Amino acid sequence: MYAYTEFDRQFVHRRALQYRDQLERNLRGELSDDDFRPLRLQNGWYIQRHAPMFRIAVPYGELSSRQLRQLAHIAREFDRGYGHFTTRQNLQFNWIPLPRSADALDALAEVDMHGIQTSGNCIRNITSDAFAGIAPDEFVDPRPYCEILRQWSTLHPEFAFLPRKFKIAVTGAAEDRAATAWHDIGLHLYRNAAGEAGFRVLAGGGMGRTPIPGIVLREFLPWNQILVYIEAIVRVYNRYGRRDNMYKARIKILVKAEGQRFVDAVNREFEAVLNHDTDGDAHLIPQAELDRVSAGFVLPAGVAPQACDFSVPGDAPVAYRRWLERNVHAHRLSGYRAVTLSLKRAGQAPGDVTDGQMLAAADLADRYSSGELRVTHDQNLLLPWVRESDLPALWEAAREASFATPNIGLLTDMIACPGGDFCALANARSIPIAAAITERFDDIDELYDIGEIDLHMSGCINSCGHHHSGHIGILGVDKDGAEWYQITLGGADGSTLSGGAAAGKVIGPSFAADEVPDVIEAVLDTYRHTRAGREHFIDTVRRVGLEPFKVAANAARRSTAREVAPA
Amino acid sequence: MSHALAQARIEFVDAATDPWHAAPDAPQPEAHLLLTPAQWRDLGASWPSDLPVGLHLANDEDLEALEADLPRFAVIELHFPKWTDGRAYSQAHLLRSRLRYRGTLRAAGDVVADMLPLLARTGFDAVRLRADQRRETAQRALGYFEGFYQGDSVHPQPLFSAEAH
Repeated sequence: MYAYTEFDRQFVHRRALQYRDQLERNLRGELSDDDFRPLRLQNGWYIQRHAPMFRIAVPYGELSSRQLRQLAHIAREFDRGYGHFTTRQNLQFNWIPLPRSADALDALAEVDMHGIQTSGNCIRNITSDAFAGIAPDEFVDPRPYCEILRQWSTLHPEFAFLPRKFKIAVTGAAEDRAATAWHDIGLHLYRNAAGEAGFRVLAGGGMGRTPIPGIVLREFLPWNQILVYIEAIVRVYNRYGRRDNMYKARIKILVKAEGQRFVDAVNREFEAVLNHDTDGDAHLIPQAELDRVSAGFVLPAGVAPQACDFSVPGDAPVAYRRWLERNVHAHRLSGYRAVTLSLKRAGQAPGDVTDGQMLAAADLADRYSSGELRVTHDQNLLLPWVRESDLPALWEAAREASFATPNIGLLTDMIACPGGDFCALANARSIPIAAAITERFDDIDELYDIGEIDLHMSGCINSCGHHHSGHIGILGVDKDGAEWYQITLGGADGSTLSGGAAAGKVIGPSFAADEVPDVIEAVLDTYRHTRAGREHFIDTVRRVGLEPFKVAANAARRSTAREVAPA
Repeated sequence: MSHALAQARIEFVDAATDPWHAAPDAPQPEAHLLLTPAQWRDLGASWPSDLPVGLHLANDEDLEALEADLPRFAVIELHFPKWTDGRAYSQAHLLRSRLRYRGTLRAAGDVVADMLPLLARTGFDAVRLRADQRRETAQRALGYFEGFYQGDSVHPQPLFSAEAH
C-alpha cells in the first residue's frame, strides 16, 4: 500500500482543522447553512434523513487492517455500530451528529484517512479494480497512477466547483472490473506494441436520468501525460458544461451534445496547456515520481511465489467447495489466491458491516493477507494476499465471522444503495426489497442453477445502486407518495460476462413493493425455461428479447394488474 | 514550502472607498471605469493610452479575443454569480497562465471568505467580499495549508517537481 509521507499526513490533519473552523462558525451562526453546505459536502458530510451521512474515501479501494480497526472504532464511538460500503469503494456512516463531525475527521486523520471530495461538485475519490496489482489478467498495475491522480485532484483550486460531480475510474487489466465506461472519465492502462505504458481515455459516461456510456477520446495516451490530459478535459467541462439544469449538468450531456467538437476542444486545450501555458509541462509526470509512488505498491513483506501444490480433498464439504468456486479467485503469484469476504447475507443490507465485523475482517487480514484489504465495486471486502495453504483455515474463520456466503457473482451478491431508509434523496427503500429477494432465493442450489447474474438496485434515479447496468435493474420511484419499483433488463457494466456497457430496458409500468420478489422469480423462471444449455441470463435476454420476460412479469402482478390490463 | 498562502498578497476591496465602478450605458473615457467587452470593442481604439481602464467579465465570456488588449487593462474583474459557480477560476487561470495578464485580477459578486485559498491560487490578487463576509475569516482561510499537491497559477510547479522544493 501507499505509505503516507509527512506532507500527506500534515495535509489531512490541516484539512480537518480547516473543517473544524467552518463547522464552528456554522454552529455559532456565523456561517449560514446554505454557505456551509458545499464546504461540508466536500468533506463527506451530507445532511440525511435521520442525521448527517458521512462518506469516507477509501482511495481506489485499498484499506489496511489498522485503518479498518479505526473505522470500527468510529462506528462504535460516533455512530450506531455499523457502516455501509458503496459501489465507489467508499464507506458511509449514517448516524454521526454534525457537532461531532470534526472529531470524526480527526479520528480518521490519525490513520491517514479523510472525507475529502467524497461529495460535492468536484473530482471525487478515484476508483479502480479491486484486483489491482494481483490480477492474472493485468497489463499494468493501476494503483500508482491512481495515487498520483488522487494527489493531483485533491484540493485542485480550479476544479472545486464544477457544474456537477466528477468521477474517475481506472483499470489496468483485460477484464473491466471498475465499470469504467460508466464514469465521467474512464481510464484503461495498457502497454502498446513498443511495450510502453499508456491510457485509453474515455469520457462522458454516467448514469442518472440519462444513462450514457463514455466514448473514447484517445486510444493511447503516454502515461506521463495523463494529468495534463485530464486537466484539459475538466477545464473544457468547467467552462462549457451546463449549469442551468442540475439534471443536464454532468459531462455526459456536454459530450453527447457536442460530440466530435468536444473531443476537438479537449485536444486543442491539451496542446494549448503544453505549448502556451507558463510551465505548461510541469504536470508531465517524471519517472522519478512514478518510481517513488510505485515503491508503495511492491509485494508485502513475506509474500513471495510459492510452490503450487493446492488440492481439495475428495471428502471436502460441499460448502467449502462452493466457497472455493465462488469466493476464491486466481492470483498473479503462484501459491496465492484472493478471497472475497461476502457482505451479502441474510439479515444485513448489502454492503453493511458492523463494528464487530470490521474488527473480524481486520483480524482475518492480519492473519491471512499481510494486513491488507480491498473494498470492491460490488460492495464486498477482498483479501488480496492469501496463501493457498491457508484456504481451509480461512474458510473456517470466515464462516465464523459470517463472511463466507458462497454467492459472489450470483443473484444475492447484489449491488444496492442504502435507499429510502437512510438517504434523503431516495424515492423508495432498497433494503427491504434486497432482504425480500435474499430471503426468497436462500436456496444455494437454486442460486447456482441461475448462475452468474448482476442484480443492481437504486432507491432513486441518482443511480447509486447502478440499476442501469444490472442484468436485472430495480429502480425505486415515487408516485403519489407511495413506493414503486421499475424493473429493467439487459443492462451491462462492460465486463466480459455482461458485454459492452449498456443501459437496461424497462419492462413495463412500475411494480408494487410486494410484487417485486415475485416478478424477479417470474423473470428468472422464464430464463430457466428459455435458456440454451448453460447460457447466462444476460445472453438469454439478448437472444430472445424482452417480450417473454414482460409477459411473465405482468402475470406476477397483483395490485398493479389493472393498470396494465388491455383496454 | 513554496506554496504557503498565508503570505499571499490579497487586496481586500472596500466597497465604500473603491474608485472602480461599472461603466454607464454609453460611457465616455474617464478614470476607473470597468467596461464590458462590448463597450471596450466600441471604445478601445479611441481610449487614451494614459487613462487607466478596467474590464468586467461575465463568467461565460471567452477570453481569447481579448488577448491583444490585455496589457491595456489595469484591473480585470471576474464575476461570481453564485459562489459555487466555478467558471471564473478557469478564466483566472487562463488569464494568468496562458494569456500572461499581469494587471490586478479581482473577484466580485457572491464572494465568500472560504473561497480565498482557491482565489489566491488561481491568480486573483484582489477580492471584493460579499457584504456579510468578514475579512479576518477570509485572511484566516489562507492559513491552513503549508503546501499543495498540484501546481497552480501562482506556483506552477507541483509538489512532485524537484523545482517546487
